[in-house]
Amino acid sequence: MLHLLGVNLPDQKVVSVALTYFYGIGPLTARKICSRLSFHKECKLSELTEGQLNQLSGVLSEMTIENDLKRKVAANVQHLRQIGTYVGKRHAMGLPVHGQRTRGNSVTAKKINGTMLRKYSTVADTAFARQALGLFQAPLSRHQN
Amino acid sequence: MIRATKLTQPAAKAAKYVAGIRLLSSSPIVAAEKSSNAFKPKADRTQSMAFTKKDGGTKRVRSGTTTSVNMSSANPAYYTELPKPKLDLLSKDTATATRLNTFMQIDEGFLQSTGKGRYPGHLAADFKLFGKPALLYRQVTQTLVDQMAQNAQTAPKRATVLDGLNGAGKSAELLKLAMVAATSGHIVIYGLSTLPWANSSRPYGPGFKSDLFVQYELANELLRSVSAVSREVLSKVPLGKSVALGKRTLESGKTLADLVDIGLQTPSLSHDALDQLLEIASSQTVVPVFIGLDEVNTLWCKTSYRDQDDNVLPANRFRLAQSFLPFFEGKSLAKGWVVGATSYAEVRFMPKDLKTRLCPPPAIPIANPDLARDPGVAELPFDVVKVERLSSPEAWGLMQFYQKANIVTTPVTEGLVAKKWVYANGNPRQMFAGVTTYF
Repeated sequence: MLHLLGVNLPDQKVVSVALTYFYGIGPLTARKICSRLSFHKECKLSELTEGQLNQLSGVLSEMTIENDLKRKVAANVQHLRQIGTYVGKRHAMGLPVHGQRTRGNSVTAKKINGTMLRKYSTVADTAFARQALGLFQAPLSRHQN
Repeated sequence: MIRATKLTQPAAKAAKYVAGIRLLSSSPIVAAEKSSNAFKPKADRTQSMAFTKKDGGTKRVRSGTTTSVNMSSANPAYYTELPKPKLDLLSKDTATATRLNTFMQIDEGFLQSTGKGRYPGHLAADFKLFGKPALLYRQVTQTLVDQMAQNAQTAPKRATVLDGLNGAGKSAELLKLAMVAATSGHIVIYGLSTLPWANSSRPYGPGFKSDLFVQYELANELLRSVSAVSREVLSKVPLGKSVALGKRTLESGKTLADLVDIGLQTPSLSHDALDQLLEIASSQTVVPVFIGLDEVNTLWCKTSYRDQDDNVLPANRFRLAQSFLPFFEGKSLAKGWVVGATSYAEVRFMPKDLKTRLCPPPAIPIANPDLARDPGVAELPFDVVKVERLSSPEAWGLMQFYQKANIVTTPVTEGLVAKKWVYANGNPRQMFAGVTTYF
């Protein structure tokens, strides 16, 4: 198991697949990184030399991934909330942001949206409280306004 | 005494709210959830949660399957010893017209030189069933062997490419030619498979001070096979000039064997050594040279490799392909022959225009002068030899051998051979599939 920039990468995986274990790197970005460093498609992590690993670390450290990216996303959502946009309010309410219907479905949106905001709230972070207080979040945010 | 003051409405609401929270947070349900959450492990995406792997030692990778049977207690009706038909070894002495339509053995040492367990095309399954590497000596083989003997004296101006349908025997013919060339005192540069040159399965990198990309591992492998097959012949050919490879300089008195040794010892000099070997070998007249490349269409294809900007690389951006391309585009040897064999197994590495030129659609009239000027149907820079279907005597020889090797257990009659031959349309691979599959 290779530990790179705070993430455990499986040794026996192909490099372009192993790189997707980073938050913020998908198949396309992983392929571009491999092309930049001239890693062939069937190259496994265990086959990389120390110099190649250092090059890979250098490229990854230039990118915004993992905690930096999470912080950036959270900051973007928080900014939308603070300037009082429609999108910000939807995040605050934990409802769909992109104009989807809420009469039915929207289960995923209710689960995920506003997670960044909830991390900043003072309410006890328990699953039951989140469920129960989902109804109270809207009036509370109205008070905060 | 502390007087209880009446709270204002919003404050009362807030107090109720906080009290509610305290009540909820102290409830047994919440407490149970908290405790379960405390022991719930965080999902680790890098490890499977379905099962735990045992520690201790690396996992042994099994390649291939082997079945071991205790023959002393085995039922003789079902378990028989693998028959080992006696076959003549294919060489320049045995490659004569008297051996037509018979099977001949390929030297194991020659095949091992190309890499352990590596066989051209789909021949691995055939050789495994035969018990030894053996191929049918066909009329087309005799024609090619005669041509090679002629070219050993005076090289032709153009290379030759073997073309035909899937399973027609292109790779097999090239292997037989390479085998005969090795026993005839040629310098044999035989590329068993050029697919790794294009399918992004081997290491590569940008060249130093050059637009071309390098593949040191592949170049080193090729040099190793050349050294293993033609060591004695290489030591007979002097360099004729001083050659500088990296920091070392070889005097003109040294031989090609010394040049190849340097390339083998220093992988970073493999390409330079290969280029010098091809240049000197192609211009000398001491010994003839045989250059054989299987899946030669990869020299003109778009590879699966990408450059630093993530653009697809064509084959001519690689130093290894560039070393051999001139021989298929007009450059001739002083003595010897350059032969390639196409492959339609991996269609993505068969360029469309090359395929059209090798097998032009019947609708295009050749006599039309306008179309004749079209580069899509222009003349190819090499000669094409079509490997056609098996003839009836060849099919008979094939089935006779299958019976000797216990692949066909029923008596081989004319009717059976005719049936298998017609059903397979004379295609050797389809004939093999026809006798080895039951449904």
